Amino acid sequence: MAGAFDFVPAIAALPLLAFVVSLFAGQYMPKRGAEAGILATAGSLVLSIWTALTVAGITGSATSYNENLYTWVAGVADGAVTLRLGVLVDPLTALMLVIVSLIALLVHVFSLGYMNDEGETGLPRYYAGLGLFTASMLAFVFSNNLLMAFMFFELVGLCSYLLIGFWFREDGPPSAAKKAFLVTRFGDYFFLIGVVGVFATFGTGLFAPITEGGTVVAESFPQMAEHALEDGESFFGYSAQTWITILGMLVLGGVVGKSAQFPLHTWLPDAMEGPTPVSALIHAATMVAAGVYLVARMYGFYLLSPTALAVIALIGGFTALFAATMGVVKQELKQVLAYSTISQYGYMMLALGSGGYVAAVFHLTTHAIFKALLFLGAGSVIIAMHHNENMWDMGGLKDRMPVTYWTFLSGSLALAGIVPFAGFWSKDEVLFEALIHGFGSTGTLGTMFLVAYAMGLLAVFFTGFYTFRMVYLTFHGDARTDVARDPEPVGWNVKGPLSVLGIGAATVGLINMKPIADLTGLHIDFLHKWLLGPEEGGWPALTSTGLHHYEELMHNVAGIDPAYPLGETTTLLVSALVSLSLALAGVLVARSLYNEPEPVEHTDKLGGAKTLLMHNYYQDEYQVWLAQGVTVPLARAADKFDQGVVDGVVNGISSVSLFTGSRFRRIQSGVVTNYAALMTLSLVLLLVVFVVLGGGV
Amino acid sequence: MAIQTQYFLLLSAAVFCIGVYGILTRRNALVFLMSVELMLNAANINLVAFSFHHGNLTGQVFSLFTMALAAAEVAIGIGIVLVLYRNFEDIDVTKAATMRW
Repeated sequence: MAGAFDFVPAIAALPLLAFVVSLFAGQYMPKRGAEAGILATAGSLVLSIWTALTVAGITGSATSYNENLYTWVAGVADGAVTLRLGVLVDPLTALMLVIVSLIALLVHVFSLGYMNDEGETGLPRYYAGLGLFTASMLAFVFSNNLLMAFMFFELVGLCSYLLIGFWFREDGPPSAAKKAFLVTRFGDYFFLIGVVGVFATFGTGLFAPITEGGTVVAESFPQMAEHALEDGESFFGYSAQTWITILGMLVLGGVVGKSAQFPLHTWLPDAMEGPTPVSALIHAATMVAAGVYLVARMYGFYLLSPTALAVIALIGGFTALFAATMGVVKQELKQVLAYSTISQYGYMMLALGSGGYVAAVFHLTTHAIFKALLFLGAGSVIIAMHHNENMWDMGGLKDRMPVTYWTFLSGSLALAGIVPFAGFWSKDEVLFEALIHGFGSTGTLGTMFLVAYAMGLLAVFFTGFYTFRMVYLTFHGDARTDVARDPEPVGWNVKGPLSVLGIGAATVGLINMKPIADLTGLHIDFLHKWLLGPEEGGWPALTSTGLHHYEELMHNVAGIDPAYPLGETTTLLVSALVSLSLALAGVLVARSLYNEPEPVEHTDKLGGAKTLLMHNYYQDEYQVWLAQGVTVPLARAADKFDQGVVDGVVNGISSVSLFTGSRFRRIQSGVVTNYAALMTLSLVLLLVVFVVLGGGV
Repeated sequence: MAIQTQYFLLLSAAVFCIGVYGILTRRNALVFLMSVELMLNAANINLVAFSFHHGNLTGQVFSLFTMALAAAEVAIGIGIVLVLYRNFEDIDVTKAATMRW
């Protein structure tokens, strides 16, 4: 009997089918292609849940799956690389598949309200884009090798380009789409080199080994790297350690671009030009999540390089703080959310870097729920406000749109990290892991983790502040414009997804309440157990993508160990209390400043810092300068070299033959007698030569 | 007593040289054609002479073919000469000198 794993490719194939149907038949459908997308993502969700249940061991017997399905390029020679497409299903994949298809389904439904009901045109194109986007992300999630992951990673980037630039007749969106495409492509360039490097080094891009009846048939590259490290091999003149770090950093380039980490985060705020449901999809489940997911997917590889881990943790911690400070001064609803996304993905990177694999996956999960909620909530507000996004034109929406308010509040509490909403549990775990691993790891690695931890902790305050500044400005106080006084009502297709996600944002944290579990001794850290696998021995060691294996690597190779400076329970409590009180402090400051009937701007008090923050630390400016002031002159010089030297040599050589040709052709007089004379002379000459040389030639 | 082969060769060389001389010095297309025929026949003489010398008929048969070919060639040649005359009102080969670069 066919099990769930046989249908995994269909999870991505269904939205792909929806893409084709919407594109070609969308204009004949009553909802312009939304039907296909909704049905397909609903199908994907059902299949994903079935897959997750199978992984959990509830339906079917096998709990993980890794098969090559299609050989794309077969290597012929010895040592040649064979490129394949395949499917890998393990707990991480199953979890992510459910998240992505759930968010995609809700976004499709929401789009009915945001796009169809608003009378947008070009909807078949929109739904086709959403379908392809979802399909690419789902296929990326279950990719079993690095090259396949890269291909779908790029498709995700292409779809984001198409969707961000959906309103291509306006000025902003096409430019934002181009920026998103180029900036992420810059990171992906390094990723591509990394992929080639991995294939050149290990001859395979498998994330997990393929097993048959308990024996390994094909090894995975993290495993081979591990063996190389144990055996003290060297690659291309570098020690295994150095080379693994180099490869890790190259792949990290793609991650930094896609997950909008410093310094490649600049595309993300501009990407707000796209339709709001697309922003929700990009930020919660697909594009941005892809980067972090990739690190989690090949975590066994990153754990072999403490340097790469330290870099990831530092980038994450810094981005979390950096983006949070910029979110503080933004005036537009979606801009605040954009910076919060960057900041939250910073936390995930921080967790991954500091050895908090479970924490990172947990935060990825909760963030997907509450950020999708916040974006859809923002979309609802934007519908109500007739597409005015400036928070200073809103106010008092609380009583006029209660469903949006309460769900948005749930998402905001989760984002700010207020107990017991989802974000508290995951963010607290991220910070806790960074803290204990910072104390426990030796040498500079520990110091790096502590520095990253400190930045992450500081960002908690700013997160609480900007989140509630946004809530107070949008929903509280008096209505500041006529539109806000009489907002446009929203339909079921907006309220439905909001309610689902609102409940999710409040409750999804319950899947891994580690502090409570540790305090009470109850085994309620379900996510931890999910990633750890069955009670006896966890996931089979053969799969090598299980948490057990990662914990061993963390201890043996990376040298990351937990340490509790105040004893386990006290450290846990203190860490939770500190982050919670910082978040509350942020909320209270926001409340004291903005929870008034007629709030005023306080940004002027920041003085020079305001200008700096408003200009996003001049990140765009310096990147434009890098492009115009450095790259363009460099390109111009290279062009000069090409036109002058390279082409000059070629042209010089050809001009010599041109010249000789122009002289030489004069023997073609057109007079038959001359030709005859030439022929005769040549023949005579030939005969003379033969005579002189004795004819022996 | 048969004539020795070298006399045939001498004759052939003489005829050939007359042909070459005609091509190099004359401008009349008809004379050109005749000169070419001379050269061709010089070759024929050679073929027959060697065939006779070796006691082998192949060369003689070959020369029959050559003569047939020469007839065809003359037909074409005279055709060209006619066209030449129509276009230039003359059959001077140095006048038709535009078919070049």
